[in-house]
Amino acid sequence: MQTGSAARKVPGGKLLRIDVTYTDKIQTVKLTGDFFLHPEETLEEITFALTGLTLPLDEAAALQKVKTVLINQEAQLIGATAEDIILTLQEALS
Amino acid sequence: MKFRMIPFRYFDAFMNMALDEAIMEAVRNGESLPTIRFYGWAPSAVSIGFFQGIRNEVNLDVTRQAGVDVIRRQTGGGAVYHDQFGEVTYSIIGPVEKFSVNIIKSYEDICESIVIALHQLGLNAHFEPVNDILLNEQKISGNAQTRRQGILLQHGTILYSVEVEKMFSYLNVSEQKISDKLIKSVKKRVTSISDQLDIPMEELQLALEKGFSVGREIEMGDYTEKELTRAAQLAEEKYKSEAWNFRL
Repeated sequence: MQTGSAARKVPGGKLLRIDVTYTDKIQTVKLTGDFFLHPEETLEEITFALTGLTLPLDEAAALQKVKTVLINQEAQLIGATAEDIILTLQEALS
Repeated sequence: MKFRMIPFRYFDAFMNMALDEAIMEAVRNGESLPTIRFYGWAPSAVSIGFFQGIRNEVNLDVTRQAGVDVIRRQTGGGAVYHDQFGEVTYSIIGPVEKFSVNIIKSYEDICESIVIALHQLGLNAHFEPVNDILLNEQKISGNAQTRRQGILLQHGTILYSVEVEKMFSYLNVSEQKISDKLIKSVKKRVTSISDQLDIPMEELQLALEKGFSVGREIEMGDYTEKELTRAAQLAEEKYKSEAWNFRL
């Protein structure tokens, strides 16, 4: 099992930090930061959607998963975007 | 919509955050009016945002030695040092349908009360999206909002005085955040009432009461016994718990 971490200050926005454990798949994802997400429970849905993804990461598919969660939950992510989450995740995995 | 306004009073960190939740419950149940409360933190405390990792954000050895409480908020946003004598904090709690559906707009609408208060003191502050109020391009107020089960809570701080070195001895400020090109220097990012004016904190408290009264029907009031009892329970069972504070 490998671990990785990355933090990204979104220009003009908030800080995202991702801590990840992985083998040939993502095992756990912890997403923290000073962003806003309404409703807050959406965070668990996002990390659940990313857990189990096969590596190397298909960024487009991962991005679509995050976007689908945000749409399904009618969630508003403020201070960051779904793209920022995937960029940070990719950095944590590298 | 009539609001109950509760004047400034000190509580510890756990009771402060628990009171917000207890009042949200009471407003949701129709037992209390929508509420605006002003408060301070005794002892001084660090609050972290709902999505933050406590060990990432707080220098826990230093806060422990200094007797500074540490607590997770139910709102997002960043870590804040709440000095006992250095700030006034407010909360506004009411049904979500009474506020803008657009979250940024609702921040701006509520923060307008603080801008009015600062203008009354002769300070030309303005709202800066997402959640800040700036004075001379320096932050004087930070705000955070949540919406849960039909109730909106927004709370925020207005800095009365600031000791930047002390503040940052308690907080682990990330290199990424500092290195943002918009942030030239952490010390230059913040200002306070005392940097601008020689007035007692009570004058700021009164200005805020007036600012939050503009455009609202206000009834001065106090916490109910039920709210205080429920808050004491939430403080012990939730806000002091490791399960809550060390969740991330």
